[in-house]
Amino acid sequence: MNKMNQALRELSAMDTLAAQHSPIHGLNAAAKLICTAAYILIVVSFSKYDFGRLLPMVLWPVLLFQISGIPVRICFYKLRIVLPLVMAVGLFNPLFDRMPLLWIGTVPVSGGVISMLTLMMKGIFCLMASFLLIATTPIDSLAAALRKLHVPSMLVTLLLLTFRYVGVMTEELAIMTDAYHLRAPGQKGIHISAWGSFLGQLLLRSMDRAQELYSSMLLRGYHGHFHYAKWKPFGLIDALYLAASLTLMLLIRIFPVAQMLGALFI
Amino acid sequence: MIRFQHVSYAYETEQPVLTDLSFQIAAGEAVGLIGANGAGKSTLMKLLLGLLSGASGEILADGIPVSKENLKEIRKKTGYVLQNSDNQMFMPTVYEDMMFGPLNYMLSREEAEQRVDTVLQKLNMEYLKHRHNHKISGGEKRMAAIATVLAMEPEIILMDEPTSALDPCNRRIVINTIRELSQTKLIASHDLDMILDTCDRVLLLSDGKLAADGPAEEILRDQKLLEEHHLELPLRFS
Amino acid sequence: MHMADALLAPAVAATMYVASGTAAGVSIHQLKKEDDPQKLPVMAVTAAMVFAGQMINYTIPGTGSSGHMCGGMMLSALLGPHAGFLSMIVILAIQCLFFADGGLMALGANVWNMAFYGCFVGYYLIWRPMMRSKRFSANSASRRTGITLASVLGCVITLQMGAFSVVLETSLSGITELPFGAFCALMQPIHLAIGLVEGLITAAVLNYVYASRPELLRDVNLSAQEHAGKRSLKGVVVTLAVVALVVGGGLSLLASSNPDGLEWALFGNQEAGYAQNMGLDEEDFGVASAAADTAGSIQEKTSFLPDYAFKNSESAAGTTVSGIVGSVIVAAVAVLICILGGFFRKRKRETAVQ
Repeated sequence: MNKMNQALRELSAMDTLAAQHSPIHGLNAAAKLICTAAYILIVVSFSKYDFGRLLPMVLWPVLLFQISGIPVRICFYKLRIVLPLVMAVGLFNPLFDRMPLLWIGTVPVSGGVISMLTLMMKGIFCLMASFLLIATTPIDSLAAALRKLHVPSMLVTLLLLTFRYVGVMTEELAIMTDAYHLRAPGQKGIHISAWGSFLGQLLLRSMDRAQELYSSMLLRGYHGHFHYAKWKPFGLIDALYLAASLTLMLLIRIFPVAQMLGALFI
Repeated sequence: MIRFQHVSYAYETEQPVLTDLSFQIAAGEAVGLIGANGAGKSTLMKLLLGLLSGASGEILADGIPVSKENLKEIRKKTGYVLQNSDNQMFMPTVYEDMMFGPLNYMLSREEAEQRVDTVLQKLNMEYLKHRHNHKISGGEKRMAAIATVLAMEPEIILMDEPTSALDPCNRRIVINTIRELSQTKLIASHDLDMILDTCDRVLLLSDGKLAADGPAEEILRDQKLLEEHHLELPLRFS
Repeated sequence: MHMADALLAPAVAATMYVASGTAAGVSIHQLKKEDDPQKLPVMAVTAAMVFAGQMINYTIPGTGSSGHMCGGMMLSALLGPHAGFLSMIVILAIQCLFFADGGLMALGANVWNMAFYGCFVGYYLIWRPMMRSKRFSANSASRRTGITLASVLGCVITLQMGAFSVVLETSLSGITELPFGAFCALMQPIHLAIGLVEGLITAAVLNYVYASRPELLRDVNLSAQEHAGKRSLKGVVVTLAVVALVVGGGLSLLASSNPDGLEWALFGNQEAGYAQNMGLDEEDFGVASAAADTAGSIQEKTSFLPDYAFKNSESAAGTTVSGIVGSVIVAAVAVLICILGGFFRKRKRETAVQ
């Protein structure tokens, strides 16, 4: 399976998830967007040695995963993209920062190891949060939320239109790639002789497609202004969700929850 | 009512695509537009919709001359089903695509929604309403494209190859849908059997000229005429 | 090159959002002024094509590896800098939302690193001057050379700038222990090679477009009159001024909102000896200590959440036994939530089946 087919399957999987029903799916998209942004912001605001205090932040996404019934498996599959990058940066930390910060029994743990682990943890948490947002919110609701949050309509419309054609174009390229490799067995990529024409062909076709798309918009009365789907009003439940989530996050950020919990038992 | 009178058209500096074309289609008529590739079928439709301009002669759509000032009115009255449904359906979901046209013509959300529901019900495809455009099958996509056009309640419907790349069952569904539409219809296609099923009259274009104009049964049985213009008899007659 | 959320401090991420947001605002304004309703569908389809096109593997002759196309240069050559920039934003947003490539909070930084340089610097400083110069527009052969040169130069330069920004942003965020110099020495040469390959691929595609539909390329089909116009020089100056303003503004914003990060990067963490690593000496920096002091006090007053963990060295990682026990409890609670969730879902399924 080539990369484009892979991407198509991922896109389609996200759509299927977002089309499900759960208390989280039913929430106002703007509330979800704000919570997600706040969560990511708070996670990354922990200092680089704050492993212990960062850990309780896992509770929010875990709760959401469970309430929404979104499988964690698909989310962790996406880690393959995020983790290597974060690791590449974090892996140097144990080498440069060797001052022992903590002793487990007699084994010293250096600051570098802790900061590397904290960094990885941050990467995983942020991914879980943004994954949850997309897995519980269809793109049209998200676009409506962005409009409500005063993102310029040109950008939002462009996002919607592009998203629609990403699927179409990726599928077309997937077929072209398969066709290429059927006639060029053993080649890993596109040979230099076809560097220009392979994508160039698609590019020229795309321009014709854009022309036709524009016609179809014109014929349905387009005159530079886009109308968006029905906006789900911000209700009591959304306010409660927003307040509860933000309180939980702030509590974890301000108080060393793990340490306090531990102190209760010792 | 559609009227073409002595219409000629050429893309810049190239061979003329249409030469001295004259015909008239009465309101409520269903007309098939046939002809080999490059005969000028698409050009004819685009001229009628005002997507191309600069033709000589006179073109009337629903009695209104096609000109820049009248475009808005004409496009409100004409629906165009594109051959490639992906190009027609540019919104994320079927529902939003169907709402696009009515909302642009200043209908209120409730009225537009009402129209969408009526059309979906009529076509028996309520289940498609909230589906994503890139996750529905080719047949569903074609039906949805027709639905987006119907939601605008046009008086004239133009269709470009409405049955291309459909399996027999979906093709039949589309044919039955077309038959039930009471609007004026102009259908361009190479699927001559479909034309027989849906149209009473046929226009045969060849090299930009009108080669024949008459009852569908008559023209589509004329093997000599069809073969002369790079076409074949419909399957059921051969 | 896509940065993840975890690699950025909130202040750096916010600064980059402001910078990219400003550029986006300017672009939207410009496009509204042009008022070309057809532009939007063209942008959408082209952006989708570039999105998909970036997944193609191009074999690099003589090596076993493969390269990809450079989106920023391609888009600005086809759509112009403003439309290209907005299209890139959308591409990066889709990559980050649906493919976890990049991050929601890092989007501002990613847009800056990958779209701003590619579209604005690439267009105003490289593509447009070269396409308008007489040397590269005499005949189609020289035009082809021009397109190739502009693509390669554009990709290499904008990628270098992007890579440097990544290093700068990560360092300012205080994420990596890797010394600034070493990080640069690691990133820049890699991206030189990548830029070269990306440039060649982009050149191949643009040359193909030139051969079949030259009217699609920006600034390629100009009448003699337009050639005579001196607008390109003005454009360069304006761009440079905007870049300087935004960078300067961004840095000062950064300095006031995150003195911690900047201080860390510039004056170093004494224990680990960063000042030496960076080749900087606090005393050589005349205003350094005063600035750092003010910065420190500002931070104490403005930081919306005081930094507990570091005030006393003893509790650096919440490292007392209670911290460890507490962490175990948190993990247990998380597992419990999962088990409960699974239990309820199963019951719901069962009742549904019945």
